[in-house]
Amino acid sequence: MNLFTSMRAKLAVLCLAAALALSLAACGEQKAEQKAAEKPAVEAKPAETPAADKKLKVGFIYVSPVGDAGYSYAHHQGEKAVAALPYVEASYVESVPEGADSERVITNMARKDFDLVFATSFGYMDSTLKVAKEYPKTRFMHCSGFKTADNMNNYFGRMYQARYLTGMVAGMMTKKNILGYVAAFPIPEVIRGINAFTLGARSVNPQAQVRVVWTKTWYDPALEKDAAVSLLDVGADVIAQHQDSPGPQEAAQQRGVYSVGYNSDMSAFAPKSHLTAAVWNWAPLYVQTVEEVKNGAWKGNQAIWWGMDKGVVDIAPYGPMVPDEVKAKVEARRAELKAGTDTVFTGPIRDQAGKERYAAGQKAPDADLLGMTWFVEGVVGTTE
Amino acid sequence: MPALRVIKRDEPWKGGALVIVLGALAFSLGAGILMLAAQGKSPLQGAVVLWQGTFGNVFALEDALRKSVPIFLCSLGVAVAFRMQVWNIGAEGQFALGAIGATWAALSFPGLPAFLLLPLMFLAALVAGGLWALVPAWLRLRLKVNEIITTLMLNYIAILLLDFLVFGVWKDPTSFGFPMTPEFPRAALLGPIGGTRLHWGFAVCLAAGAGFWAFFRFTLLGYELKAGGEGARVARYAGLPYGFLVGFVMTVSGALAGLAGCVETSAVLGRLQPSLMAGYGYTAIVVAWLARLEPLPIALASFLLAVLRVGVENLQLEMQIPAAYGSIMEGLILLSVLAGQFFLTYRLGRREG
Amino acid sequence: MDWDILVALLAAAVQSGTPILYATLGEMLSEKGGVLNLGVEGMMSVAALAAFLTAHLTGSAWLGLAAGGAAGACLALLHAVVCIGFLGNQVVSGLALTILGLGLTHFFGTPFIGLAAPGFSKFSLPLLGSLPVLGDILFRQDALVYLSYLLPAGFWFFLQRTRPGLAVRAVGEMPAAVAAAGLHPLRLRFFTAVAGGGLVGLGGAYLSLAYTHLWTNGLSAGRGWIAVALVIFAFWKPGRAVIGAYLFGGVMAFQLRLQATGTNLPSSLLLMLPYALTVLVLVFSAWRGRAAGAPAALGVNIEPEG
Repeated sequence: MNLFTSMRAKLAVLCLAAALALSLAACGEQKAEQKAAEKPAVEAKPAETPAADKKLKVGFIYVSPVGDAGYSYAHHQGEKAVAALPYVEASYVESVPEGADSERVITNMARKDFDLVFATSFGYMDSTLKVAKEYPKTRFMHCSGFKTADNMNNYFGRMYQARYLTGMVAGMMTKKNILGYVAAFPIPEVIRGINAFTLGARSVNPQAQVRVVWTKTWYDPALEKDAAVSLLDVGADVIAQHQDSPGPQEAAQQRGVYSVGYNSDMSAFAPKSHLTAAVWNWAPLYVQTVEEVKNGAWKGNQAIWWGMDKGVVDIAPYGPMVPDEVKAKVEARRAELKAGTDTVFTGPIRDQAGKERYAAGQKAPDADLLGMTWFVEGVVGTTE
Repeated sequence: MPALRVIKRDEPWKGGALVIVLGALAFSLGAGILMLAAQGKSPLQGAVVLWQGTFGNVFALEDALRKSVPIFLCSLGVAVAFRMQVWNIGAEGQFALGAIGATWAALSFPGLPAFLLLPLMFLAALVAGGLWALVPAWLRLRLKVNEIITTLMLNYIAILLLDFLVFGVWKDPTSFGFPMTPEFPRAALLGPIGGTRLHWGFAVCLAAGAGFWAFFRFTLLGYELKAGGEGARVARYAGLPYGFLVGFVMTVSGALAGLAGCVETSAVLGRLQPSLMAGYGYTAIVVAWLARLEPLPIALASFLLAVLRVGVENLQLEMQIPAAYGSIMEGLILLSVLAGQFFLTYRLGRREG
Repeated sequence: MDWDILVALLAAAVQSGTPILYATLGEMLSEKGGVLNLGVEGMMSVAALAAFLTAHLTGSAWLGLAAGGAAGACLALLHAVVCIGFLGNQVVSGLALTILGLGLTHFFGTPFIGLAAPGFSKFSLPLLGSLPVLGDILFRQDALVYLSYLLPAGFWFFLQRTRPGLAVRAVGEMPAAVAAAGLHPLRLRFFTAVAGGGLVGLGGAYLSLAYTHLWTNGLSAGRGWIAVALVIFAFWKPGRAVIGAYLFGGVMAFQLRLQATGTNLPSSLLLMLPYALTVLVLVFSAWRGRAAGAPAALGVNIEPEG
């Protein structure tokens, strides 16, 4: 009944296992020696320009399937822009869980002599850094983190700028002054987005209030829809989201109220309610990075945080229900942001408890924004 | 009507298990590779890439060994319980509790040297995982509450507890508000073995596997449990009350899963964060059953499953095949192994007359 | 909390509980016949995709529903073949089915994200919808919810009051007796497993045709596992399955609404409520001594005669 009933079979397997382990240890020793020998020869910075006729190998790692029309989908659109370049050979691995698995996948890419690797989720941070230290010749770009190395940058987009604009639209379109926000996890980027949305809404409608419901999932369309419905039941008439599925959009349309999308234009799912969306456009950042690598101009140890002025974030086209006066006001602010004037988190800004965090005219430094864990005045909900 | 009939073998087909596993692998791989053709990809290239990403590549094997560590430990735990027909579906939650226990030790005693801190972490993990499993055991014994549902529900609760801790009291103040604990002190980390990419958790696996084998081989209690008899009968033979046995196997089962959680947190992540949870507890159930609750087959099965996953990643990278493909392959392999195991006990023969 | 909000909460609980109810009853049917099918999650997922695709291609939500049921039944058939035909271990086969089902869904379904399809919308039943309170909660739902109101009674009637139902129960308790009575235990098990799979498929179809009107990866999101647990919670009785499904759906809806009204409780703890409550109710019922048992031959394969 059992393969290993006989003693001989057991012994054979034991020997096999021992041999396997020993050979791996031996290989490990060899590799360690190789790396030690390589070290002096490797420059401090990966400054070598790739050979002109050799294609650049660029790799992308996604935390979810690229077909999900959400976060990874938006990154994948950026990948496509890069892949279209004649000197680039791009490939990707999707649905890579953060943690041990991501370390393996990133290492695999480094071993295959990829020139550039984009790790597109926060949870890949430690793994990317670990691999970056072991493979100094490969360049790493980590999204939404805060660690860097000589051959590793982190990058993100100032999505809060787009959120601010969508908040303005929502604030002007609401009649009950209750805006609902379906959010995934209370991490700084989500909290920052909610704050920017609230600041935008209250800049045109000081009575507006934003209520937050946490779903604790990036992707459960039915639960997200339920969360939206719970907000609608307490009187919200605009639903915004920091979720990857269009569930909340659908809920809003079914109730005949308005909604604001995220990641990409979600109007296809809710044409009657979709006011606009806060969308990503990674292509400019990705293309420029790749060009820098090609020209040998790429530098490590950078924290790259691009905004609307570079085209990395924007708002989706307005829905047909948005009146011209609203558009005009928002467009004016949008033009400012595109020109580089970012006053989203410029004071006076008070927190939920009423305490003033930034005085009038005082601009919140990037470090504060990156680690934001408190809500501004006007938000109803906890940050846990 | 077929001219065949099913005949029970007089004794199980020796060596058949290996043939079946190989046959199932061949069948599933074949079907899987053909599915590639349906997607417009070359089946031949797929086969080559799969080989290169698995057995054709020492790095891949090493990666697979790393990945099989938590699966193996959880699987041992599941096997201990299942042998007594106590259906512990809670390995996932016990894994999380073990990680939480280890984290508590690492964060509370950062000044201790490694030879004290690591054993403390292990102990905390064993206790946390064991207790988390003891609750459903107690409910079963005292109130006859079915342990399948209690252990399953406790999985969800454990993951939420982990979330609560890393988003709340254990959150690293220097990590910009992201949900993770501070990095563990160096003394709390299980390092690599020599120059390899394998970490000392692998040694923990060997020790646990040896312990499991020795327990079931050399102790009276183990011998009776191995006979796989009904719980009450086992108890009568061993002279121990049934309740004690259930509690015992559940605690050990949970402790092993907790140990896996500790090892994974300490050796691979270096801190506690939600991404620790990767479904090992559920994979362990599949592995344990496939391996018929025996330690050596469990080792092999965990390794093979890990190898498959690593190989599929290579398929993604080289041929842009979607990640879901791996799940399909895994499902097919499991189902065909199951179907094939039929032939261990039965064979087909001619119908007379 | 406002009275209106409470009513809205209960209405949401009904809708939230409906796909779980279908799936729970489907699994219960299979288990009554003695076949444990842990593949519910995979089945719901595939059924959601099949239902959505069919509705999209044919323009008919009802055809989509039928397709969803058929998809669930097909996967259950696979499980039945492995377990009943090849005597495969039921636990592992079910788990394999979940893995396979989820994989198939992602693999084949991804190109279809973002499409539109007809679905089921809520409508008020003529007289009943105007009832105070109850009307708002129970009778302003969609067609599939109304259908699900009839299911538990039908389920009970079939199993307790018809001959085929008796045979099904018998094969789940003592297959040998069934054979001795001149019936075919294997065929009966096949039937119940496949029919149960069909019901589970309806639950999956509900997710993409009624609960939301879209299809995306991950629609089932663990509901299949909840259904498996609820069968045990319900002590294999359809009436209690209703309680379990609505309780679970209700607590989930409740914690969302609690957040919406601005509570200070951490959401992680709130999210534990449905699971903790399930255990508590189970413990309470067991303590009160009303623990009923599983069908005696559940999970035990029927050996062929030598």
